[in-house]
Amino acid sequence: MLTVNHLAKSYDGEKKSLTDVSFSIRPGEVTVIIGPSGAGKTTILRSINQLIRDDDGEILFDDTNMRDLNRAQLRRARCRIGMIFQNYNLIEPLTAIENVLHGCLGTKSNLTGIFSIYSNQEKEEALKLLQKVGLEDFAYQQCRNLSGGQKQRVGIARALMQHPKIILCDEPIASLDPRSTITVMDILRDLAINDGISVLINLHQVDIARNYADHVIGINNGQVVFDDRIAALSDTAIARIYQKDANLEGSAIHEF
Amino acid sequence: MNSDVQQVNNFFNNKRFRLSVILVILGLAYLGASIGLGFQTRSLLNVQNGVIWLIQNFIPNEASKGYWNEIIKQLFRTFLVAVASTTCAAVASLFLSIIGAKTLTPAITISWVIRAFSSLLRNIPIVAWAMILLFSFKQNDLTGFLALFFMTLGFLTRAFMETIEDFGTEKIQALQATGATYLQVIFQGLLPEVAVALMSWVLYMIENNVRDATLVGLLTGTGIGFIFNLYFKSLRYGAAGLVVLSVIILVVAVELISNLIGRLLS
Repeated sequence: MLTVNHLAKSYDGEKKSLTDVSFSIRPGEVTVIIGPSGAGKTTILRSINQLIRDDDGEILFDDTNMRDLNRAQLRRARCRIGMIFQNYNLIEPLTAIENVLHGCLGTKSNLTGIFSIYSNQEKEEALKLLQKVGLEDFAYQQCRNLSGGQKQRVGIARALMQHPKIILCDEPIASLDPRSTITVMDILRDLAINDGISVLINLHQVDIARNYADHVIGINNGQVVFDDRIAALSDTAIARIYQKDANLEGSAIHEF
Repeated sequence: MNSDVQQVNNFFNNKRFRLSVILVILGLAYLGASIGLGFQTRSLLNVQNGVIWLIQNFIPNEASKGYWNEIIKQLFRTFLVAVASTTCAAVASLFLSIIGAKTLTPAITISWVIRAFSSLLRNIPIVAWAMILLFSFKQNDLTGFLALFFMTLGFLTRAFMETIEDFGTEKIQALQATGATYLQVIFQGLLPEVAVALMSWVLYMIENNVRDATLVGLLTGTGIGFIFNLYFKSLRYGAAGLVVLSVIILVVAVELISNLIGRLLS
């Protein structure tokens, strides 16, 4: 469904942020990418929907290479890829329901999108999704008044509004308290199990990965150093993923 | 006294020493400038005579009451020129700042051109704008309007651009990730987020332009600035004082109203 082949990227043209990253993910599974800060996790995720233009390699989503698409095609492809963020990236002065409806902008014409003209069906669906993430009572609340956990759930509802085949989650719980973390991770796992959506998550926390992942990809210094089922994630494997690279002076080794 | 306390004392002594040095430098700068200008500090002692003359002559008296009608009329005209030029400039600035902001620009060269253009407009003093435009547009309200418009356009484009750039790329990317188009990102994402901030810049500029419009009117021979000049030169100081008073009242009123609107918005 999603296959990444030989992805390489460098921001300054010299030091490689990603050297040669290849992996594939399966439908209806939770795949977690772990690795130290600066290893390239975010770059991988954002290359998939081409928010970051990569330098080399191919990203096959439903057998089309995301890198070969023109603007209109890329827009259509992005509609089927949901994304949630560490900082939620909601439009804070707007209400929860407006933010959820943003999820269907990709399928709308320019003008109807600009003037927030949504069909009854779309409105109904947005309400249903808010219900699904347990926020039906907050539909008309400005997002700036919601808690972190609630914001992230609005973010998930916005992603689901896209009818995604895959949801990319960039450190979705890094700013959340332990209780919200569990709520959000439970919702993400249920999406994989019940709706057959593939969930690809960047994580810092190995213990969370152990509880929720089906498959784990370990990244260190821009390379895949581990790619296996969660059961195979031994302590030595973790040590290898988080080992300090000689070239990365001062990069943090994460406690786990 | 142990050595830790000694260290803290040394720290504060150093700080006081640096402050003294700065004060001495400022004093020397004043002395140098006064000598250069031939300005005599002694003459500050006679300043009260000037102030007394000012108060005696510029306090509006019975005779200046008759000017109220004319003053109110011109004040209102000046206010309208300030509001019209600011709002027109705001609309144009919004467009320029969106395509000029580094985070949203279609091409980085457009961003540089707009930056240079707005900096040029902004750095020509309002007085120079009025004088230059006076030749082409003669003595009427349009000249004042254009002078304020260009200066405001330069200022607001810059201010809007910075506000928009502070908005960052993250939320823009979040909407792009849903498949939203450029215009959808701007209308659904950017504008709701920055509307309040942009509005407060516009209100600030209206305040500022009410003040500046007085000065511009003095140069272009229109509005409240013109009648101030007229009364002043015809030695009707009481009426001129009334003009100054009315401008102060207007500016304070505009400031209060804009504060009120600002509070309501946020």
